[in-house]
Amino acid sequence: MNVVNDLRKTIKKLLAEKKIDLFVGWEKGSLPMAATPIFITNEDEADRIVFDITCGNNLSVYFTKDKKQFADKKVGIAVKGCDARSVVLNILEKQIDRANVVMVGVPCHGVLDKKKVLAKTDGREVLELIDGGDTVTLKGNGYELSSDRSEILSSSCLSCIYPDAQEYDIFVGEPRGEVPNENRLKEIKEFEAMSTSEKWASTRAEYEKCIRCYACRNVCPSCYCNVCFVDQNDPAWIGNTCDFTDSMVFHIIRNLHVAGRCVECGACERACPMDINLLLLNRKVAMEVKDRFGDVAGLDINGKPAMVDFREDEKQDFIMG
Amino acid sequence: MNMVRLDKQKLNDFIRELSAEYSVYAPGKTNGKTEFIPVESSDEIDFNSHVTDMFPKGIFFPPAEVLFEYDEDGVREAQTSHRPIAVWGMRSCDARSLVMLDRVFGSAIQMPDNKNFQDPYWKEKYDNSLIFGIACNEPLSTCFCNWLGGGPHNRDGMDVFVVDAGDVYLMEPLSDKGIEIINSSSCLTNATGKDEALAVKLASDAESMMTAPLDTGGLGEKLTAIYDEPIWSEISAKCVNCGACTFSCPTCHCFDVQDEGKGKKGKRVRIWDSCMFPIFTMEASGHNPRALSSERVRQRIMHKYSYYPENYGENLCTGCGRCVMVCPVNLDIREVLKRIIAYKEQVI
Amino acid sequence: MSEWQPKILAILCNWCSYAGADLAGVSRMQYPPNIRVVRVPCSGRVDPLFIMKSLQSGFDGVLVSGCHPGDCHYISGNYVARRKFAVLKPLLEFIGIEPNRVQFSWISAGEGERFATVVTKITEDVRKLGPSTRLVKKL
Repeated sequence: MNVVNDLRKTIKKLLAEKKIDLFVGWEKGSLPMAATPIFITNEDEADRIVFDITCGNNLSVYFTKDKKQFADKKVGIAVKGCDARSVVLNILEKQIDRANVVMVGVPCHGVLDKKKVLAKTDGREVLELIDGGDTVTLKGNGYELSSDRSEILSSSCLSCIYPDAQEYDIFVGEPRGEVPNENRLKEIKEFEAMSTSEKWASTRAEYEKCIRCYACRNVCPSCYCNVCFVDQNDPAWIGNTCDFTDSMVFHIIRNLHVAGRCVECGACERACPMDINLLLLNRKVAMEVKDRFGDVAGLDINGKPAMVDFREDEKQDFIMG
Repeated sequence: MNMVRLDKQKLNDFIRELSAEYSVYAPGKTNGKTEFIPVESSDEIDFNSHVTDMFPKGIFFPPAEVLFEYDEDGVREAQTSHRPIAVWGMRSCDARSLVMLDRVFGSAIQMPDNKNFQDPYWKEKYDNSLIFGIACNEPLSTCFCNWLGGGPHNRDGMDVFVVDAGDVYLMEPLSDKGIEIINSSSCLTNATGKDEALAVKLASDAESMMTAPLDTGGLGEKLTAIYDEPIWSEISAKCVNCGACTFSCPTCHCFDVQDEGKGKKGKRVRIWDSCMFPIFTMEASGHNPRALSSERVRQRIMHKYSYYPENYGENLCTGCGRCVMVCPVNLDIREVLKRIIAYKEQVI
Repeated sequence: MSEWQPKILAILCNWCSYAGADLAGVSRMQYPPNIRVVRVPCSGRVDPLFIMKSLQSGFDGVLVSGCHPGDCHYISGNYVARRKFAVLKPLLEFIGIEPNRVQFSWISAGEGERFATVVTKITEDVRKLGPSTRLVKKL
């Protein structure tokens, strides 16, 4: 709770001293499993701010969405490790002016994945959720159970190495430091061990679910093209008829568009109404980017996004002999 | 007609009977999500599903529906299944949504200017359908049907109303088609007075579990009055303009028509569209009349609670709560409605 | 019915690989007639979307070829392209597209012989895989 109190105090101070015009954070949502973004301009509202396991949104998406919203404003923003990397990336890509943003780091212990919670409760509705740190209590009609935090965390959090903001102006609470994560790539390695046809069957089963609502794209802070390639209709690159191959091409190209720019925050996967395991491909791409180019998206504010950079002596094992 | 009872043990036989004449749909699980799927036996039905994750409108208004195909030999209307559709286990909110959609596609109600548009693809499926609704005995916390003229035991849009009463289903036929199917079935027995009393009790219990309704009277006029006010950019501030709400909505029905062709073959397909997408209103000139997120959010609210009621006298929302559940930023439509009703118009 | 023949799209850069193909032609080198060539200004012009669309529209294989590293007419086009392909290729393999369907090479204007070898190799690779089915859009 101290973190939340400190966060509120920090926001009040920033607003009172006119260091910012606006603060973007999370408040308690209308559902027990979802906090919701809030935009604060008034000190009194700061007491609505929360920070717990339900704060899954990557708020830096609001910098690039409907660009007029934050134009010419000094914006304070609460950032988890992944969110901070998104902000850094947006700064590198000249979408945000570093001087106009005050990054307030919060120590993140992971955010929940609704579908994992519902698996815990056998699909029964959750009416109350209490974030007790290592254990989380879930209450509903006629039941109460507690779960290990790790069992309901988003897959992005289970593979997270940088829970703290690496770039920040103010850090509230104790930073957790880098988390050594040996099992980080386990899921990817297991997938890679399958045969080509098994991989394809698995991919197909997953992506056939897509209904093309574009929630994944729209919650992604790295997806901010004025006109997305799927929305171009002259020429129309991608059909819109829920054809599986069209959906697959959309997802592959989206993955490549965010290659070296995806911070693996998992917002896409949590937003997906069809529960597609979206992050697996993003993480595979991030793994390749790190192995080949030594780059991790949004870590270095003086760096350059991997896909607009190159070295002459790079590994080119995939080129025909 | 009075209520009849169906022993749950006999549901499978009943579904079989239905299958003789109908393609039967019921809530089932595909890929971990509940939706209405074609079933042949009661084993395939997911009885735990509350409001299904996916939306029953897809049975009658599929996400992608081929209108016609062409090749070197000419143009052919798409082959549709001509077997009539029966749906088992449709919640009150969903059954009502079909009535709302039928006003648009089937013109069950004439428009004020007496124009009568009829969509053959919808009509062919919906007019021959048989809907077995199921009453909600335990509404969810996201349900708000009682705000919008519905209720957990509402009977609108059903041919047969079904109440789950423990070991038996109590059924009440509501339409001629419903009476016919009930009379012709061999699985049913007459309900007792005790059964009927139980159905009434379950209904009042369910009602009492609902949240206190918000008075939505005058909402349409209010919306028209505040059309140009800054509240819209406040409401839409956190919306990221994905289509999760519109695609999960049982009453959203905007569509796009796309041609797909290759060489000498092709087809015309009708697909779901969403007013949340910028391209929805993009004009050929490059001008977009609803370029801003706030304008698109306003459109969605206006269509549901102002434009549609102006034409048909009822809000285009059944209060099923799906959009509340799927919204990635928790922009809760109930909060939006409360905010609009509480909003004081600015005098300009 | 005649035997199935692989259909391969070759996307060649204007300055090196296309000229390499030209040299193979004027030198009367034999190579399989299974490729359809698209000429692009530079391998850096090749959007991964082109490759995906080729597979989707039914090509059994895709070959992308540009200038050798260091030889790019635009100095660094092929270096940037190399990063894109370096990510695309493992990703395609990861989702279960057969590894040999999409291949990349560097062929200079003087390497007519190499062009013939590369085309022969990809044709045989794709022939072994059989007709492409996985990402092909059916109407």
